[in-house]
Amino acid sequence: MSNEIYRLHPVSAIITTVKALKSMILPVAIIIISNGFNFSFNFHSEHFFETVLLFGVWGGAAVLALVGGIVKWRTFVYWFEDGELRVKYGLFVKKKRYIPFERIQSLNYNEGIFHRLFGLVKVQVETAGSKGGKPEVELTAIRKVAADVIELEMRQAKNRIEQQIDVEQTLEPTPMEEVIVPTIYHMSIRDLLVLATTSGGIGVVLSGIVAVVSQFSDIIPYEAVFHELSDFVKVGAFLIALTVMLILLVAWFVSVIITLVNYYDYTVRIEDEKLIITKGLLEKKRITLPLNRIQAIRIVENPLRQLTGFATVVVESAGGNGEKGGDKKIALFPLIKKHDCLQTLAELFPDMNWHPEYTRSPKRARPFFYRIDFIWLVPIIGASSYFLYPYGLLSLLLIPLTILLGIWQHKTAGYMIDGKQFTMQYRLFSRITIYMEKKRIQSVECTQSYFQKRKKVMSVKATVMSGMTGMTGNVPSLEQRDAETILSWYEY
Amino acid sequence: MRAEPIHQISRKGLTVWRLYGVIQTVLLVIVAAFVCYGTYYFEWPPFIYSIAGVVVLLSAILSVYLFPKIRWERWRYEVREHEIEVQHGLFVVKRTLIPMVRVQHVDTTQGPILKRYNLGNISISTAATVHTIPALIMDEADGLRARISELARVAEDDV
Repeated sequence: MSNEIYRLHPVSAIITTVKALKSMILPVAIIIISNGFNFSFNFHSEHFFETVLLFGVWGGAAVLALVGGIVKWRTFVYWFEDGELRVKYGLFVKKKRYIPFERIQSLNYNEGIFHRLFGLVKVQVETAGSKGGKPEVELTAIRKVAADVIELEMRQAKNRIEQQIDVEQTLEPTPMEEVIVPTIYHMSIRDLLVLATTSGGIGVVLSGIVAVVSQFSDIIPYEAVFHELSDFVKVGAFLIALTVMLILLVAWFVSVIITLVNYYDYTVRIEDEKLIITKGLLEKKRITLPLNRIQAIRIVENPLRQLTGFATVVVESAGGNGEKGGDKKIALFPLIKKHDCLQTLAELFPDMNWHPEYTRSPKRARPFFYRIDFIWLVPIIGASSYFLYPYGLLSLLLIPLTILLGIWQHKTAGYMIDGKQFTMQYRLFSRITIYMEKKRIQSVECTQSYFQKRKKVMSVKATVMSGMTGMTGNVPSLEQRDAETILSWYEY
Repeated sequence: MRAEPIHQISRKGLTVWRLYGVIQTVLLVIVAAFVCYGTYYFEWPPFIYSIAGVVVLLSAILSVYLFPKIRWERWRYEVREHEIEVQHGLFVVKRTLIPMVRVQHVDTTQGPILKRYNLGNISISTAATVHTIPALIMDEADGLRARISELARVAEDDV
């Protein structure tokens, strides 16, 4: 047992500081902008005092951030003992945290731009109990070799538990045994492009633009703009349409770039019962996920991709923060041909049935899929027909559209029980197929409204653990007998 | 047709829910009184009086009489060796099945009104969900908690 004590790389001090400074940029920017850039270092100016105060506070905070970064780097130590990863840090208040290796859910490696300059990685250690999307332990920056040591220690600790007979053998310094790591998925440039162009990232970008614009609302001279605009309108609707198109195009382009950068070189490998996902162009990310922690698998096909035979495969896993903050929805295969994905999944999880035959929702349940929509549809149609008389009538088109969508949803709703596996399929727009194992389901719920009771249909929900809360699959309006079969199946 | 869960919640629970309804209605009456006063004082249109009256009346009928009654009739639960089954719902009837091995912990809670009637709520938490059975006789709730925690022993799998 090597009780060697490890430290972070000095660069971590810089990274911590920069991170703290980064979170200060926005408030400071808002203050500066809302002040209308009325700053001056001229003593006689009336803004002198404000300026000094602002920059004083800001500078003070910056110095504090720097000191904090250095202190964290100097005091942070970690070591391995008794099959645990132990961490200690803090100057006045010493904090210690011990994590048993078996409890570690995933080990994520992250390489930001800073890290790559120095050949470092950020390591995030997650357990099921990680609170609020924060990793249990974050090693801000360590050398790649040191990161490998952690994994080695973990593996050794596990071996030690499994085969305590031969202690000497495991204690031998097994020098990074080169395991052949089979790649099960690699995203080609072509797929990457398809993913980038069909992803819904454009909404994110647009809302980002809106957020930025609203930040600057104080300095934008709306009235002048409005006058300009009214002139503009006179020029013609065509020009406006063109501008809107241009904005959309730019937003779309930006979202494509973002997706490309994030998912560049997306690779999934499997190494002793663990999935290892690597991706990223500027910032390299590596996520490790033990297979036996996976709670459910979801295949999502949005209409466009369903048409072209593509799908997204998402794994639900308990705890931890995954790739973005709070939710632990890891896209296992962001974009894959449905056919290939079923094959790969069958290799990964041989116990599951990947070609289910669904029991569909009965025909008499069809009205339930669109009837409820009329509650909000009718007032909207009424209002728009009345107030926008000639063109408002176009809203009547919504009725056949909702009915068609409802029929489509009805066609998709189905379930299958096969031994210890429960599969649900349904759609809002995208077709969602969830594969769950019985032992992973936290609870099953059937609901029946008064109208459903008359038609003898029931909706079924099943919840699995995912991230901090749960993930619920929901098949609406199945035959009552079928719903009861599911309940009976779920009983012991 | 699957049999319904056998146990109903305590009859006193119905009384407690009626009491909640009364409290809600009293709060509404206070608000309505303010609105009526405002209407009188600022000479707002007189139909506001009737709206306030109807709202209070509706609340009284629904939250004191009708809803507690339906809710109480629908509420059923059953604790079996391997699972807990719960059925409830006002407009939509929900039936939930929670396997014992999934149960993480059980809580009982009791507010001042429930205490007055010697009742308690029992909440069953799994890793992902929480299910509450309301208004059980306190002894029964304690017994149930003990029984569930006894039945819900070792979970084989993580989470």
